[in-house]
Amino acid sequence: MSDKKRVSRRQFLNYTLTGVGGFMAAGMLAPMVRFAIDPVLQTKESGGFKSVASIDEITNEPQRFEWTIDQVDGWYESEVQKTAWVYRNEKDEIIALSPVCTHLGCTVDWASNEEYPNQFFCPCHGGRYTKNGVNVPGTPPTAPLPMFEHKVEEGMLYLGEAKDRGGA
Amino acid sequence: MRWTKADTTQYLPEKQYIDTVLIPLIPFDPSSDQKMVKQAFQRELNQVFTTLIEREYRGRIFLAPDYSYIHDTNEKEIDRVNDWISRFKEQPFQHTFLFTFDSKWKKHEKDLNGHLIWVPGMQSGSIQSTETQSFVREQALQISELIQAYW
Repeated sequence: MSDKKRVSRRQFLNYTLTGVGGFMAAGMLAPMVRFAIDPVLQTKESGGFKSVASIDEITNEPQRFEWTIDQVDGWYESEVQKTAWVYRNEKDEIIALSPVCTHLGCTVDWASNEEYPNQFFCPCHGGRYTKNGVNVPGTPPTAPLPMFEHKVEEGMLYLGEAKDRGGA
Repeated sequence: MRWTKADTTQYLPEKQYIDTVLIPLIPFDPSSDQKMVKQAFQRELNQVFTTLIEREYRGRIFLAPDYSYIHDTNEKEIDRVNDWISRFKEQPFQHTFLFTFDSKWKKHEKDLNGHLIWVPGMQSGSIQSTETQSFVREQALQISELIQAYW
Protein backbone atom coordinates (compact mmCIF):
# COMPACT_ATOMS: atom_id res chain seq x y z
CA MET A 1 0.00 0.00 0.00
CA SER A 2 2.71 2.38 0.87
CA ASP A 3 4.50 1.15 -2.24
CA LYS A 4 1.81 2.55 -4.51
CA LYS A 5 2.13 6.03 -3.15
CA ARG A 6 5.83 6.04 -3.40
CA VAL A 7 7.21 8.61 -5.82
CA SER A 8 10.15 7.35 -7.75
CA ARG A 9 13.29 9.42 -8.12
CA ARG A 10 12.55 9.83 -11.83
CA GLN A 11 9.03 11.03 -11.17
CA PHE A 12 10.20 13.39 -8.46
CA LEU A 13 12.74 14.99 -10.76
CA ASN A 14 10.15 15.24 -13.52
CA TYR A 15 7.68 17.04 -11.31
CA THR A 16 10.28 19.43 -9.95
CA LEU A 17 11.65 20.29 -13.38
CA THR A 18 8.21 20.86 -14.86
CA GLY A 19 7.28 23.01 -11.90
CA VAL A 20 10.40 25.16 -12.01
CA GLY A 21 10.30 25.35 -15.82
CA GLY A 22 6.68 26.36 -15.71
CA PHE A 23 7.44 29.11 -13.26
CA MET A 24 10.23 30.46 -15.41
CA ALA A 25 8.12 30.33 -18.56
CA ALA A 26 5.28 32.12 -16.78
CA GLY A 27 7.69 34.72 -15.45
CA MET A 28 8.89 35.45 -18.97
CA LEU A 29 5.51 35.33 -20.63
CA ALA A 30 3.54 37.43 -18.17
CA PRO A 31 5.18 40.76 -19.03
CA MET A 32 5.01 39.94 -22.74
CA VAL A 33 1.31 39.24 -22.54
CA ARG A 34 0.90 42.42 -20.54
CA PHE A 35 2.63 44.43 -23.25
CA ALA A 36 0.44 42.87 -25.90
CA ILE A 37 -2.85 43.62 -24.22
CA ASP A 38 -1.71 46.82 -22.55
CA PRO A 39 -4.29 49.13 -24.14
CA VAL A 40 -7.05 46.98 -22.68
CA LEU A 41 -5.65 47.14 -19.17
CA GLN A 42 -5.09 50.87 -19.19
CA THR A 43 -7.36 52.50 -16.66
CA LYS A 44 -9.59 54.81 -18.55
CA GLU A 45 -8.97 58.39 -17.42
CA SER A 46 -12.50 59.50 -16.71
CA GLY A 47 -11.94 62.61 -18.84
CA GLY A 48 -11.38 64.54 -15.64
CA PHE A 49 -15.03 64.66 -14.70
CA LYS A 50 -15.61 66.71 -11.59
CA SER A 51 -18.66 66.92 -9.42
CA VAL A 52 -20.04 70.41 -9.77
CA ALA A 53 -23.52 70.65 -8.34
CA SER A 54 -26.51 68.70 -7.18
CA ILE A 55 -29.02 68.32 -10.01
CA ASP A 56 -31.77 69.74 -7.79
CA GLU A 57 -30.06 73.10 -7.97
CA ILE A 58 -30.33 73.29 -11.73
CA THR A 59 -33.20 75.40 -12.97
CA ASN A 60 -34.39 76.68 -16.31
CA GLU A 61 -32.47 79.88 -15.71
CA PRO A 62 -28.71 79.64 -16.34
CA GLN A 63 -26.75 79.66 -13.10
CA ARG A 64 -23.07 80.07 -12.59
CA PHE A 65 -21.23 77.15 -11.01
CA GLU A 66 -17.58 77.04 -10.08
CA TRP A 67 -15.19 74.20 -9.39
CA THR A 68 -11.46 73.63 -9.46
CA ILE A 69 -9.29 71.19 -11.36
CA ASP A 70 -5.60 70.38 -11.10
CA GLN A 71 -3.86 71.41 -14.25
CA VAL A 72 -0.35 70.42 -15.23
CA ASP A 73 1.40 72.72 -17.69
CA GLY A 74 4.78 71.20 -18.38
CA TRP A 75 6.38 71.14 -14.93
CA TYR A 76 4.05 73.69 -13.49
CA GLU A 77 1.15 72.26 -11.57
CA SER A 78 -1.65 74.52 -10.54
CA GLU A 79 -5.21 74.57 -9.37
CA VAL A 80 -7.38 76.17 -11.97
CA GLN A 81 -10.80 77.50 -11.34
CA LYS A 82 -13.43 76.56 -13.88
CA THR A 83 -16.81 78.09 -14.37
CA ALA A 84 -19.91 77.02 -16.24
CA TRP A 85 -23.36 78.33 -16.93
CA VAL A 86 -25.76 75.47 -16.29
CA TYR A 87 -29.50 75.19 -16.96
CA ARG A 88 -32.21 72.82 -18.18
CA ASN A 89 -33.60 73.44 -21.61
CA GLU A 90 -37.20 72.90 -22.77
CA LYS A 91 -36.55 69.20 -23.35
CA ASP A 92 -35.34 68.90 -19.75
CA GLU A 93 -31.79 68.26 -20.89
CA ILE A 94 -28.97 69.72 -18.84
CA ILE A 95 -26.89 72.25 -20.76
CA ALA A 96 -23.52 73.37 -19.40
CA LEU A 97 -21.86 76.19 -21.29
CA SER A 98 -18.37 77.52 -20.93
CA PRO A 99 -18.42 81.21 -19.97
CA VAL A 100 -15.34 82.00 -22.04
CA CYS A 101 -16.20 84.33 -24.91
CA THR A 102 -15.05 82.87 -28.22
CA HIS A 103 -13.93 86.30 -29.34
CA LEU A 104 -10.98 87.08 -27.05
CA GLY A 105 -11.65 85.09 -23.92
CA CYS A 106 -13.52 87.40 -21.57
CA THR A 107 -16.07 85.93 -19.19
CA VAL A 108 -19.66 86.26 -20.36
CA ASP A 109 -22.59 86.91 -18.06
CA TRP A 110 -26.18 85.79 -18.32
CA ALA A 111 -28.68 88.61 -18.77
CA SER A 112 -26.27 91.24 -17.48
CA ASN A 113 -27.32 93.74 -20.12
CA GLU A 114 -30.78 95.17 -19.63
CA GLU A 115 -31.41 95.44 -23.35
CA TYR A 116 -30.86 91.72 -23.86
CA PRO A 117 -32.46 89.99 -20.88
CA ASN A 118 -32.42 86.54 -22.51
CA GLN A 119 -28.90 86.41 -23.81
CA PHE A 120 -25.38 85.88 -22.63
CA PHE A 121 -23.53 89.16 -22.77
CA CYS A 122 -19.80 89.77 -22.96
CA PRO A 123 -18.84 93.00 -21.16
CA CYS A 124 -15.66 93.50 -23.16
CA HIS A 125 -16.94 94.15 -26.67
CA GLY A 126 -20.66 93.57 -26.43
CA GLY A 127 -20.60 90.04 -27.82
CA ARG A 128 -23.92 88.26 -27.39
CA TYR A 129 -25.07 84.65 -27.37
CA THR A 130 -28.56 83.21 -27.28
CA LYS A 131 -29.57 80.96 -24.40
CA ASN A 132 -28.28 77.85 -26.16
CA GLY A 133 -24.88 79.51 -26.51
CA VAL A 134 -25.02 80.36 -30.20
CA ASN A 135 -23.38 83.67 -31.06
CA VAL A 136 -25.66 86.43 -32.29
CA PRO A 137 -24.59 87.45 -35.81
CA GLY A 138 -23.28 90.98 -36.05
CA THR A 139 -21.54 90.85 -32.68
CA PRO A 140 -17.77 90.20 -32.39
CA PRO A 141 -17.77 86.45 -31.51
CA THR A 142 -17.53 84.10 -34.47
CA ALA A 143 -18.32 80.78 -32.79
CA PRO A 144 -20.82 79.45 -30.24
CA LEU A 145 -19.82 79.05 -26.60
CA PRO A 146 -18.14 75.68 -25.99
CA MET A 147 -20.31 73.12 -24.23
CA PHE A 148 -19.10 70.98 -21.34
CA GLU A 149 -19.40 67.20 -21.49
CA HIS A 150 -21.60 66.19 -18.62
CA LYS A 151 -22.95 63.17 -16.82
CA VAL A 152 -25.26 62.67 -13.90
CA GLU A 153 -24.43 60.18 -11.19
CA GLU A 154 -26.27 59.74 -7.92
CA GLY A 155 -27.99 63.07 -8.20
CA MET A 156 -24.78 64.98 -8.83
CA LEU A 157 -23.82 66.75 -12.02
CA TYR A 158 -20.32 65.99 -13.26
CA LEU A 159 -18.65 68.17 -15.86
CA GLY A 160 -15.70 67.24 -18.03
CA GLU A 161 -14.01 68.93 -20.93
CA ALA A 162 -15.44 71.88 -22.79
CA LYS A 163 -15.95 71.01 -26.45
CA ASP A 164 -15.80 73.55 -29.23
CA ARG A 165 -18.82 73.55 -31.45
CA GLY A 166 -17.15 75.07 -34.48
CA GLY A 167 -17.68 78.38 -36.18
CA ALA A 168 -21.17 79.36 -37.22
CA MET B 1 -3.87 89.39 -21.66
CA ARG B 2 -0.63 89.05 -19.78
CA TRP B 3 2.97 89.68 -20.51
CA THR B 4 3.59 86.17 -21.80
CA LYS B 5 4.57 84.84 -25.18
CA ALA B 6 1.21 83.25 -25.88
CA ASP B 7 -0.81 86.30 -24.89
CA THR B 8 1.34 88.89 -26.60
CA THR B 9 1.20 86.84 -29.81
CA GLN B 10 -2.57 86.84 -29.54
CA TYR B 11 -2.61 90.52 -28.67
CA LEU B 12 -0.82 91.89 -31.74
CA PRO B 13 -3.38 91.04 -34.43
CA GLU B 14 -6.27 91.95 -32.11
CA LYS B 15 -4.86 95.29 -30.92
CA GLN B 16 -7.97 97.21 -31.82
CA TYR B 17 -10.00 95.33 -29.23
CA ILE B 18 -7.61 95.47 -26.31
CA ASP B 19 -7.54 99.10 -25.33
CA THR B 20 -7.00 99.00 -21.59
CA VAL B 21 -3.80 98.45 -19.66
CA LEU B 22 -3.64 97.66 -15.97
CA ILE B 23 -0.36 98.33 -14.18
CA PRO B 24 0.09 97.01 -10.64
CA LEU B 25 2.14 99.41 -8.50
CA ILE B 26 4.00 97.46 -5.84
CA PRO B 27 6.10 99.10 -3.11
CA PHE B 28 8.77 97.22 -1.23
CA ASP B 29 11.63 97.94 1.09
CA PRO B 30 14.04 95.10 1.68
CA SER B 31 15.95 97.10 4.32
CA SER B 32 13.11 97.16 6.79
CA ASP B 33 12.43 94.06 8.87
CA GLN B 34 9.11 95.25 10.20
CA LYS B 35 7.58 96.26 6.89
CA MET B 36 8.75 93.27 4.95
CA VAL B 37 5.95 90.86 5.85
CA LYS B 38 3.23 93.40 5.30
CA GLN B 39 4.63 94.48 1.95
CA ALA B 40 5.06 90.93 0.77
CA PHE B 41 1.47 90.18 1.72
CA GLN B 42 0.21 93.23 -0.11
CA ARG B 43 2.16 92.23 -3.16
CA GLU B 44 0.51 88.80 -3.10
CA LEU B 45 -2.87 90.39 -2.61
CA ASN B 46 -2.20 92.76 -5.49
CA GLN B 47 -1.39 89.83 -7.73
CA VAL B 48 -4.53 87.97 -6.75
CA PHE B 49 -6.59 91.04 -7.56
CA THR B 50 -5.06 91.82 -10.90
CA THR B 51 -5.09 88.16 -11.94
CA LEU B 52 -8.79 87.95 -11.14
CA ILE B 53 -9.60 91.09 -13.11
CA GLU B 54 -7.43 89.98 -16.01
CA ARG B 55 -9.13 86.59 -16.16
CA GLU B 56 -12.62 88.06 -16.38
CA TYR B 57 -11.73 90.71 -18.95
CA ARG B 58 -8.76 89.22 -20.75
CA GLY B 59 -10.16 90.23 -24.11
CA ARG B 60 -9.96 93.89 -23.30
CA ILE B 61 -7.49 94.37 -20.46
CA PHE B 62 -3.77 93.91 -20.76
CA LEU B 63 -2.04 93.22 -17.47
CA ALA B 64 1.36 94.91 -17.46
CA PRO B 65 4.36 93.49 -15.64
CA ASP B 66 4.48 94.58 -11.98
CA TYR B 67 5.81 98.06 -11.44
CA SER B 68 7.98 97.70 -8.35
CA TYR B 69 9.57 100.59 -6.48
CA ILE B 70 11.15 101.31 -3.13
CA HIS B 71 8.58 102.19 -0.52
CA ASP B 72 8.07 105.90 0.16
CA THR B 73 9.84 107.18 -2.93
CA ASN B 74 6.61 107.90 -4.80
CA GLU B 75 7.55 111.43 -5.76
CA LYS B 76 10.73 110.30 -7.48
CA GLU B 77 8.84 107.55 -9.26
CA ILE B 78 6.23 109.73 -10.96
CA ASP B 79 8.32 110.28 -14.06
CA ARG B 80 9.12 106.63 -14.44
CA VAL B 81 5.46 105.63 -14.08
CA ASN B 82 4.49 108.21 -16.68
CA ASP B 83 7.18 106.87 -18.95
CA TRP B 84 5.67 103.38 -18.69
CA ILE B 85 2.25 104.83 -19.46
CA SER B 86 3.42 106.78 -22.49
CA ARG B 87 5.13 103.66 -23.86
CA PHE B 88 1.93 101.68 -23.49
CA LYS B 89 -0.01 104.47 -25.14
CA GLU B 90 2.15 104.08 -28.22
CA GLN B 91 0.54 100.68 -28.81
CA PRO B 92 -2.09 102.39 -28.59
CA PHE B 93 -3.81 101.71 -25.30
CA GLN B 94 -6.54 104.23 -24.61
CA HIS B 95 -7.17 103.60 -20.93
CA THR B 96 -4.50 103.19 -18.31
CA PHE B 97 -5.29 102.03 -14.81
CA LEU B 98 -2.78 101.91 -11.99
CA PHE B 99 -3.71 99.45 -9.28
CA THR B 100 -2.17 99.86 -5.84
CA PHE B 101 -2.63 99.49 -2.09
CA ASP B 102 -0.11 102.26 -1.45
CA SER B 103 -2.11 105.29 -0.27
CA LYS B 104 0.86 107.60 -0.84
CA TRP B 105 0.02 107.69 -4.54
CA LYS B 106 -3.27 109.42 -3.81
CA LYS B 107 -1.45 112.70 -3.16
CA HIS B 108 0.28 112.54 -6.54
CA GLU B 109 -2.74 111.35 -8.47
CA LYS B 110 -3.00 114.50 -10.60
CA ASP B 111 0.58 114.12 -11.82
CA LEU B 112 0.01 110.59 -13.08
CA ASN B 113 -1.15 110.11 -16.65
CA GLY B 114 -3.40 107.19 -15.80
CA HIS B 115 -6.39 106.46 -13.62
CA LEU B 116 -5.23 105.58 -10.14
CA ILE B 117 -7.21 102.84 -8.43
CA TRP B 118 -6.19 102.91 -4.81
CA VAL B 119 -7.84 100.29 -2.66
CA PRO B 120 -7.40 100.13 1.09
CA GLY B 121 -5.92 96.67 1.29
CA MET B 122 -5.71 94.26 4.15
CA GLN B 123 -2.94 94.77 6.65
CA SER B 124 -2.59 91.16 7.55
CA GLY B 125 -4.34 87.88 7.10
CA SER B 126 -3.89 84.82 5.04
CA ILE B 127 -4.14 84.75 1.30
CA GLN B 128 -5.86 81.36 1.53
CA SER B 129 -8.52 82.28 4.06
CA THR B 130 -12.13 82.44 2.96
CA GLU B 131 -12.34 85.91 4.48
CA THR B 132 -9.63 87.18 2.14
CA GLN B 133 -11.17 85.38 -0.81
CA SER B 134 -14.58 86.94 -0.35
CA PHE B 135 -12.97 90.34 0.22
CA VAL B 136 -11.02 90.06 -3.01
CA ARG B 137 -14.00 88.83 -5.00
CA GLU B 138 -16.26 91.57 -3.75
CA GLN B 139 -13.71 94.31 -4.38
CA ALA B 140 -12.61 92.95 -7.75
CA LEU B 141 -16.20 93.02 -8.94
CA GLN B 142 -16.53 96.66 -8.01
CA ILE B 143 -13.19 97.56 -9.53
CA SER B 144 -14.19 95.97 -12.81
CA GLU B 145 -17.41 97.97 -12.73
CA LEU B 146 -15.31 101.09 -12.27
CA ILE B 147 -13.13 100.12 -15.24
CA GLN B 148 -16.18 99.38 -17.37
CA ALA B 149 -17.51 102.86 -16.66
CA TYR B 150 -14.57 104.26 -18.66
CA TRP B 151 -15.22 102.07 -21.72
